[in-house]
Amino acid sequence: MSKLLTLDDTIRRYVPDGALIFIGGFGHCVPFAAGHELIRQGRKRLTLCRTGTDILFDQLIAAGCVAKVIFGYLGNPGVGISHSFRRAVDAGSIEVEEWTNFTLLLRLHAARLGVPFLPSRALLAGDVPKASADARKITCPFTGESLSAIPALSPEVALIHAQRADEDGNVQLWGIDGDTREGALASRVVVATVEEIVSREVIRATPERTIVPAHRTVAVCKVPGGAHPSYVQGYYTRDDEHFILYDRISRNVNELAAYLDRHVRHVAGREAYLNSLDPGVLERIGLAGRVGATVPQDAPNPLETR
Amino acid sequence: MMNPQMEMENLVLGTALELVDGESCFVGIGVPSLAAMLAKQTHAPNLVLIYESGAIDANPPIPPLSTGSPSVTADTAMIGDCLDVFGDLQAGRIDVGLLSAAQVDRHGNLNSTVIGDYRKPKLRMVGSGGAHDIASLAKRVVIAMPHDPRRFVAAVDFITSPGFLAGGGERGRCTPRGGPHAVITGRGRFMFAGEELQLERSFYPFSPAQAVEGFGWNLPIHPGAFCFNGFDESARSLARRTGFNAGA
Repeated sequence: MSKLLTLDDTIRRYVPDGALIFIGGFGHCVPFAAGHELIRQGRKRLTLCRTGTDILFDQLIAAGCVAKVIFGYLGNPGVGISHSFRRAVDAGSIEVEEWTNFTLLLRLHAARLGVPFLPSRALLAGDVPKASADARKITCPFTGESLSAIPALSPEVALIHAQRADEDGNVQLWGIDGDTREGALASRVVVATVEEIVSREVIRATPERTIVPAHRTVAVCKVPGGAHPSYVQGYYTRDDEHFILYDRISRNVNELAAYLDRHVRHVAGREAYLNSLDPGVLERIGLAGRVGATVPQDAPNPLETR
Repeated sequence: MMNPQMEMENLVLGTALELVDGESCFVGIGVPSLAAMLAKQTHAPNLVLIYESGAIDANPPIPPLSTGSPSVTADTAMIGDCLDVFGDLQAGRIDVGLLSAAQVDRHGNLNSTVIGDYRKPKLRMVGSGGAHDIASLAKRVVIAMPHDPRRFVAAVDFITSPGFLAGGGERGRCTPRGGPHAVITGRGRFMFAGEELQLERSFYPFSPAQAVEGFGWNLPIHPGAFCFNGFDESARSLARRTGFNAGA
């Protein structure tokens, strides 16, 4: 059965208001297109989780979609803080549950394994467990050591972006995975946007690249360029300048609102988004010519042409 | 007039010298990444750079903005996932962790979470990321900080990443492994004596007194402290040429 859907149908069907969502992408393959669709559809009271976030979290907070964040790091990587998060904390309008990248990863891993907690040697000292992370001290029944019990976290839905999938919903991602596979497999259902849809034969000729099997996927959407301004290995590179520009824009609420209007709320979909970017950007990151184009299945393997 | 360019170079050069050839090093973004890259290109070609995104034995051609950036994967030996690298870290197989933060205190505790009270912060920052895990689990931790009196405080507002906590052996009672080994600034190198920060040497052109100037407590200077002027000039010019001073 084909799981191919449009992105707006997918978000309408699988991401209700109030949902606990895992957002994929550790610097690489961040699902910006899916996140922007949440904003366009005006989702409310969402809880977002992932270990190391990207500016997509900032945008969803600024757009009023988010009631709570569960994270290890929330900022603009290598550039600075998340200004919208800071404002939301100042206003008391967001619930904060913070862990560390490793211990939040363990929460997802525990859910993936179907156990209520995993023991760890992290969170035994410092203020993170005192102020926020509900890790509990336990004694190892075998060695008597003190350890932290890190509780499982099972999101309702995972939104991930990847290189490709078949229409059955087998999703292939290569390059940096980070916590994407853990978060996806910890979640009840997985929604994937991909650069291209390929045949079953292509997937089954390279099964080692599949990170989520079809029976865990509920929807696959073809969204070329869906990870900009992050990147997709073998397809286009990271738009570092956009992250630096975003730092400046997001310091000011009016400028940020105008940015979200121009690039998110007032564009029909991903192709319009890519066309809303400044001239030269698509050439610079290697995405020009891919927008709206179908990559033939006998095209050179991106792994060999990276 | 002191030269801020030289101070930035000293910070990267001094941090790089903490890394020993052949070690495995868990690297954060910013100065830690610049220092690890410089070490690998100079005295420590067999340094194994590990990024939390899962890149193992990385060799970034340009300083990455994110641990998941294309530069991190461009010349790496392995792309695992977060579980691979944090698993190695927890198992005690990573020799040294390189960290920076918004604040450091006299016991080497780091804060990257809030300035002010946690519930009503003056400034909400990014949180731990992997820093708490590195500070807890690496065999040894090196801290790179710009010389900035606002960043050196007697006690951090929030202990994101544990150093020696309140001192007096508290860390050892909570978590058995590792701990901060040295703090490097653009003006000097600090070590821990009795779990308390102490200036070990200053970096030329700064005197020992200038290396502790403006800090929020009376930071002790080791009686044998001296002004070190031995950074390798070719390493310095490499740092300058490749833009290692940019953006950090």
